[in-house]
Amino acid sequence: MEVDGKSIEFDKDGFMVDPGLWDEAVAAAVAVDEGIDELSETHWKIVKFIREYWKEHDLAPPVRLICKDLGVGVRDIYKLFTSGPARGACRVAGLPKPDGCV
Amino acid sequence: MTKRNDTHESTEVPGDEGNPAPERGVNAALAELAASVRGFGAFQMNACVRCGLCADTCHIYRAEPDVANLPAMKASSITSVFRRYHTFLGKRLPGLVGARELTAERIDEIRDVVYGRCTSCGRCASNCALGVDLRHILQVGRRMCAVAGRIPEGLQRTVDNQLETGNQMAIPQEEFLSTTEWLSDDLKLEMGDDTLRIPVDEKGKRILYVINPREVKFFPLSLMAAAGVFHAAGESWTLSSKVFDVTNYGFFAGDEASARELVRRVAEEAGALGVEQIILSECGHGYRSFRWEGPRWLGREYAVPVSSVVELLDEYIECGRVQVDREKNAERVTLHDPCNLVRLGGLSEPQRRVLRKVTLDFVEMTPNRENNFCCGGGGGMLSMSEYGDRRVASGKVKADQIRATGAKIVATPCHNCADQLIELSKRYHLGVEIQAVVELVYNALC
Repeated sequence: MEVDGKSIEFDKDGFMVDPGLWDEAVAAAVAVDEGIDELSETHWKIVKFIREYWKEHDLAPPVRLICKDLGVGVRDIYKLFTSGPARGACRVAGLPKPDGCV
Repeated sequence: MTKRNDTHESTEVPGDEGNPAPERGVNAALAELAASVRGFGAFQMNACVRCGLCADTCHIYRAEPDVANLPAMKASSITSVFRRYHTFLGKRLPGLVGARELTAERIDEIRDVVYGRCTSCGRCASNCALGVDLRHILQVGRRMCAVAGRIPEGLQRTVDNQLETGNQMAIPQEEFLSTTEWLSDDLKLEMGDDTLRIPVDEKGKRILYVINPREVKFFPLSLMAAAGVFHAAGESWTLSSKVFDVTNYGFFAGDEASARELVRRVAEEAGALGVEQIILSECGHGYRSFRWEGPRWLGREYAVPVSSVVELLDEYIECGRVQVDREKNAERVTLHDPCNLVRLGGLSEPQRRVLRKVTLDFVEMTPNRENNFCCGGGGGMLSMSEYGDRRVASGKVKADQIRATGAKIVATPCHNCADQLIELSKRYHLGVEIQAVVELVYNALC
């Protein structure tokens, strides 16, 4: 995928091969692929929270932390990201695919 | 990692220590093959006549009609090796009977077939005119790759997570406890009952509920719903903060030593907590591996009965232990049958009885029950990114089935299928919502 003149490579699951190349333009492009034409303020809050948590822990955050720290209702997150926190929000945030049944 | 290495060493051929790794892998795979073809196993390996009728039974072949996806051809990647080492003609005139020597490269070819072109759904086997268990043959292929140390990376990482941390997503115990507290708080508000809480590590309860770690880390609505329904039923139950994972990636990987260890932990925890019954959350392979394969791996029956939560839900509704109102789920609902729960697990009716009682407009997809098509995400496929494109392509068969029902909600008693169905809805523009059966029951509570 070409984003702002940069060539971004994705694995066969649609996650970034090099998460280091992530920026807001990449997030917006992946979001469109997720069916989100424009990321709202809440979307951005979630995406940036996931990104920061991952940089610190090398892991995707549990949904509890996303909801509690950002004041997002547990039922709302699946409306914001219809693919859910893993294949939806983490993918937009440029993380590698979380391990296991997701 | 220590445990895994132990597993590999135990399968090595005596006197093999000085050989380079690829050769050791080949020898270990041949030893596994030899152990798998005693008695009836040898008949299975020799019985396919390549009539090709299995082509249409396979969702992967139907989505991509390439000869490499034909079940009989997939099985022949293993049976050709069997012929080379275990039949008279194969040993002497291998070229005549299509017998092939096993090499490190051939193990990688087998790996691509058994993990990347097959979800172990068993539909080819149950439709074979000769009764050849192709699924079993392909599972032997997985076991050969496992002992050769060639399990795909994502799958191996998940097995290692399970063995080392106790759950496939490496969720720490404190995080598990914080999540159950957080869900209890939300549930109190939703159900308007301040006394409600999710019990953890409580001894002497009737039920130990074992879940998919996905319900803690990413999709807690099903756990919340189960806790809500158990509360409504006045159930005596507990979770364990140490052993809460119903999944078994050792089973997917073909790594039976790891699979056995994971099953042993749950059985032991049930004993330590003194429960009367183990209830497994909605998880196809978790049910199949724990309920049916576990006693074989352990060499003994469990001390307490084991059921799926859909059986418990069915019991609650049939006995009037919970009151439900179908009107609360007014949209059209269809049901996806997880292969490991239904075709290979023998459980097809409880989930249907439940859905008919809790939804207003329940429709079946076609085909269904034991003849259902795999969603494309089975066999551990969701953990192996290298096959992501094939996984989504093979899901077209399921996507077409769903679309034909006109349903708005697809219920499925399997978290693994749920993830694949969510992705299919996105990729094939189905516009459907995926829910666990227990979520629809919770939603219908009066």
